[in-house]
Amino acid sequence: MRVTYNWLKDFVEIKIPAKELADKLTMAGLEVVSLEEKAGDFIFEIEITSNRPDWLSVLGVAREVAAITGAKLRVPSFLSARRSGRLNSQANKGSLKIKIENKKDCPLYTARIIKNVKVGPSPDWIRRRLELIGCRSVNNVVDITNYLLYELGEPLHAFDLDKINPEEIIVRRAKPQEKIITIDGEENRLSGEVLVIADKDKTIAAAGVMGGRDTEVSQGTRNILLEAASFDPIVVRRSRQALGKSTESSYRFERGVDSSMVSQASLKAAELIRECCDSEESGFMVSGVSKPKDIKVDLDTAYVSKILGINLAAAKVKHILTRLGFKVKHKSKNILIVGVPSFRQDVRTQVDLVEEVARIFGYELIPSSVPAIKPCVTISERRDLVSAIKNILTGLGANEAITYSLVDRAGLNNLGLKLDFGPIEIMNPLSQEQEILSPTLMLGLGRAVSFNLNQRQEHVAIFEIANIFKGAKEPEEELTLGIALSGAKSFFTGQGLVKDEAGLSNIKGMLEAVFVLLGVAGYEFISQGEERADIYIQKKKIGSMLKLNRQALRSLEIKNRDVFLLEASLDKLFAFARPNKIFTPLPKYPGIARDISFILKEGLSVKDILALLKGKGQPLLREIRVADYYKGSQIPLGYRGLTLACLYSSNERTLTEKEVQPIHDLLCETLTRDFAAKIR
Amino acid sequence: MPGMDINSIKTQIDSEAQGISSAGELEEFRTKYLGRKGILAQLTGTIPSLALEQRSSFGREVNALKDKLLFVIAEKQKTLLPGQKETTFSSFDAGMPGIAQELGHIHPLTRITDEICAIFSRMGFSVVSGPEIETEYNNFTGLNIPLEHPSREAFDTFYLKDYAQMLLRSHTSPVQVRAMKERKPPLAIVVPGRVYRPDAVDASHSFMFYQVEGFLVDKDIKFSDLKGLLEIFAKAVFGNDIKMRFRPHFFPFTEPSAEVDISCIICKGKGCSVCGRKGWLEILGSGMIHPNVFKHVGIDPKKYTGFAFGMGVERIAMLKYGINDIRLFFENDLRFLRQF
Repeated sequence: MRVTYNWLKDFVEIKIPAKELADKLTMAGLEVVSLEEKAGDFIFEIEITSNRPDWLSVLGVAREVAAITGAKLRVPSFLSARRSGRLNSQANKGSLKIKIENKKDCPLYTARIIKNVKVGPSPDWIRRRLELIGCRSVNNVVDITNYLLYELGEPLHAFDLDKINPEEIIVRRAKPQEKIITIDGEENRLSGEVLVIADKDKTIAAAGVMGGRDTEVSQGTRNILLEAASFDPIVVRRSRQALGKSTESSYRFERGVDSSMVSQASLKAAELIRECCDSEESGFMVSGVSKPKDIKVDLDTAYVSKILGINLAAAKVKHILTRLGFKVKHKSKNILIVGVPSFRQDVRTQVDLVEEVARIFGYELIPSSVPAIKPCVTISERRDLVSAIKNILTGLGANEAITYSLVDRAGLNNLGLKLDFGPIEIMNPLSQEQEILSPTLMLGLGRAVSFNLNQRQEHVAIFEIANIFKGAKEPEEELTLGIALSGAKSFFTGQGLVKDEAGLSNIKGMLEAVFVLLGVAGYEFISQGEERADIYIQKKKIGSMLKLNRQALRSLEIKNRDVFLLEASLDKLFAFARPNKIFTPLPKYPGIARDISFILKEGLSVKDILALLKGKGQPLLREIRVADYYKGSQIPLGYRGLTLACLYSSNERTLTEKEVQPIHDLLCETLTRDFAAKIR
Repeated sequence: MPGMDINSIKTQIDSEAQGISSAGELEEFRTKYLGRKGILAQLTGTIPSLALEQRSSFGREVNALKDKLLFVIAEKQKTLLPGQKETTFSSFDAGMPGIAQELGHIHPLTRITDEICAIFSRMGFSVVSGPEIETEYNNFTGLNIPLEHPSREAFDTFYLKDYAQMLLRSHTSPVQVRAMKERKPPLAIVVPGRVYRPDAVDASHSFMFYQVEGFLVDKDIKFSDLKGLLEIFAKAVFGNDIKMRFRPHFFPFTEPSAEVDISCIICKGKGCSVCGRKGWLEILGSGMIHPNVFKHVGIDPKKYTGFAFGMGVERIAMLKYGINDIRLFFENDLRFLRQF
């Protein structure tokens, strides 16, 4: 919304410079987003909040200027209430009939017939003001309707009277298949949602939105019909949406136009047209009610003080509200009866008035205090666990990524994931790129890997913790961990630079670290072929990890690189988390450590072997784990070398070699006998 | 040194090595044999003067001698004190990279979200989260946003296709409705989370972004409390030097409502391109919770009052870190992520 300094001065005396006025308006809630000096005037561009349609006019802004500067508002005489009553009593002189099909859609419609109009250029003062606020000059008649729209916030429309059937104006919903070519030259197919203005033969305007091209005022126009009306905000909103056209008129009607000023705006327009276009008037017809209901709100000034945290005397509150155009009377010492003017449709309750008082009093004058907060200490365990996981994974060298949860169907299909549920679709996506609520983190992470490989990164290790979405009976979201690895990680060791090619083992290791820290017990990784493993905790599947196949890599435009991905449900995992640790007493007696090195045929499950040996080694075998794992020239093809570290200990005594030896021998024997291992 | 007997040199090396007892002596020994003008260099220097057929075997012998020397020196080094070792044959070079696992980095949006939540946690707020898929009621109606009202324009929303009246939340405020229904006042809660709006993506818009929402409900919570608390917050994030201002604004779920600006952290209020020459940066929206919201959740607005505030995490992160394009947050370029 643009207004100019000089235009405002028509309605209010301003003694402060434009810049200072801009600051004051901003601090009163009319945010001035730009101030420009032009042609001896200043243009204020103001962001008007949707609750204040009254500010969508020079008059409305002037009223605010008067309130915040203490100056008097000069209300033009044609706006006085008495004038309004007289106007309506003069109405209905003329032959034209107005028929409103539904008074809810259109509570008030006025039509004024003006004859012998000389259409031509506007007077300079009108053209200059319109151009300053960015409105193109068309001709004197159209410019005058626009001028009053900006000045009073009342949309008006002028029809070429000779191009309409002058018997009757009908305000009704559009019929099926009905069409109108609007002033912008577009042909619009209308629906029953659109309110139209019609004569007996045809549609002549989309009510409150835009007039028709065939009845617009042009150079040849002699006689006009001037419309000033009040339309229902929701109806105009739906029409505007159906037509896909937002106009200065629809913008104001949607937010609410002051219906008590409709007739005055029409009269003012007629006066200006007479002055500028040498016309004469021959009729004014009104249908509907122009007098809005009186609204009164009781305001307890103690409530004002309680909400704002300042003590304001009733007199001060009354003074502020009066300056804003409210009619205030005392009901008792501290209770005010506040009459709400018709242009303030946003004010209906006490708290609305509290804001008005606070605005004009000045937010900056309200002191700061510190509230006493009674903490409700609820432990947000999930959030803490998520934080812990992020810390572990970054500690292991992975970077946290955030990928879009809205993805494209094609990308998802190309990844070739098997989902046991349908994805959730978006009804109104901006593009196909965002039509699906992603059921996996793998797509986003895969793309992030691809992006980084394209940036010539040698090694990519990223993870994300976010919701994935499942289209079950009810839409479901599941907090999920995704990890992606690709390329070789190089790092220094005592032996120099080492390169470690990423693989599924690395991803597994990262998740195991998470399990350990979160106290997850009884987890298993079960291979599903060479390139995939599923992850279980206590027999419940929580996720899987995989190496992307060639088709998926191709769809991600990744060449000559392998990508490893993991996805695990944190909602499921957290059910098994036991982050509260319980201390196990340290062994009182030293243990004996023994290693077994052997060669084992590939394909035998080390996990099963360890479990078996652990059982055989009881009661003294405390721990058995893989200490080394190797392949190479000393190991025959199809075999692998393994070293198992065994720890024997007892809680009752220090063990002797003699006690341990038979058990250790048994383990070795088992290996050679049952698994054909060759002890080295 | 023609005629020099390699075997006698070997014997000499052994006996001399035995007598070495300090790093200094070991260095002397090394220089004597392996230095630039040392015995080995002299031996090598004689090679061209030898008969052709002798050259290769003599060369091999010299090399063997060199290996022996290096071995003796390395062995000797092990027997000497560690401190002395480093001054002579140090394997640690302070200018070389240290050896450690390379760390990954937490995403800047997580860092800022955590920072904001931590500030409020220290003041006694609890961190609560809510679902990203919401009902139309929680996202709009319960928050006093009428379905067919221009105030909804600010909250363009993605709707789900096969689920009636379900949508992707366009702000974190629906968690207000949830939390106020589930719990009883007093309430001090912050809500971080992902939100969605159908905005075309450019340097300052994203269809997915993060917000942190907060609210305090109790008897006698006042507008002045909102000012005081948010001042503490803004100073904790942006430093004690900033100035603040509260501007009247409109949000359907608060009344009175205020937008909160801080003095531009780039130009200190003088006006620059970051603040659009205004000298002020808008960082959050706030206000006293609207009585209608309390009515929707079953809290008596005569008994309780409260305030709520909300902010965009990207906006704060961009200001704090000097990031000029919102798309960087979702591109996951490692060169970007590793800076935080």
